[in-house]
Amino acid sequence: MALLLRTLGRQGICLSRPQYTVLFRHAAPMGTTAKEEMNKFWAKNTRLNRPMSPHITVYKWSVPMMMSITHRGTGVGLSGAISAFALAALVLPGNYPDYLDMIHSLSVGPGLIGLAKFGIAFPVSFHTYNGIRHLLWDIGKGFKIPEVYRTGYTVIGLSIVTSIAVALL
Amino acid sequence: MASVVRLSCVCRRGFKPLFYQSTLLPRPLAIPHKYQEQPHLLTARIHASQALYAGPGSKAASLHWTAERVLSILLLSMGPVAYFNPGPVIDYSLAAALTLHGHWGLGQVLTDYVHGESKIKAAKASLFLLSTVTFAGLCYFNYNDVGICKAVALLWSK
Repeated sequence: MALLLRTLGRQGICLSRPQYTVLFRHAAPMGTTAKEEMNKFWAKNTRLNRPMSPHITVYKWSVPMMMSITHRGTGVGLSGAISAFALAALVLPGNYPDYLDMIHSLSVGPGLIGLAKFGIAFPVSFHTYNGIRHLLWDIGKGFKIPEVYRTGYTVIGLSIVTSIAVALL
Repeated sequence: MASVVRLSCVCRRGFKPLFYQSTLLPRPLAIPHKYQEQPHLLTARIHASQALYAGPGSKAASLHWTAERVLSILLLSMGPVAYFNPGPVIDYSLAAALTLHGHWGLGQVLTDYVHGESKIKAAKASLFLLSTVTFAGLCYFNYNDVGICKAVALLWSK
């Protein structure tokens, strides 16, 4: 019996411990989380009235930087547009086809309509293609600098082509 | 469970701790027994400023990250479906996926640019309200009006 217990013990098999108890004898959890540390950092900055270091005003802009902020910008913009649409649906009287007819009756030229369609299609395309690029990074692919630029230009090219094609539909 | 610590097993004598996160520092400590009996003490120190209680050892942030990616892939797959199979099912799915994707995305933007506990709380509350109204509005549109897929089709037919 003692031999069995010792064998089990040596192999580290849990016998009757509840699953989530910490079982180290000589360990303690760290005092703060990363989030707490970050909040402390920002609180100190505010308290000491520290000025922000120049960053986007002094660092040379690059294509990856611009694509990144464009991804964020299109995301925020599209989200805002969706929210505005949803709010309008709740608040405005009447229904959607009527509003479309109203816009149609303004007889905007085909050029401007195409431009508007491109204006809607481009943010969606760019955010989608760049989103795929992000997902590729998330599985670890494409981090070398030449690859970053190559995938970046691909995204830009695809976005423009897709947006033009969709606008012509 | 806020304070889940992932570890394989410990045996009674001569153990080698097999842990994958180094949120636990090895320190000579005289209170192992007390700690073993009251692991919930860890949760008492969690700030109330976030919906997902994230104490040390919590997997909340990591799980959130994964969920964001899964949702993104799901949303990507909804595009072709919406084009080839429009209808109420995809309308409501799009409403949910778009709203949640936007909610989480804007949440990251807030995390990047808003600092200070009370400001973060206010911003997160406003975002939650916005997302709720957005989802409600989209569902209302799907139910009482033509629906998202038809709306895009009509817009493009102009």
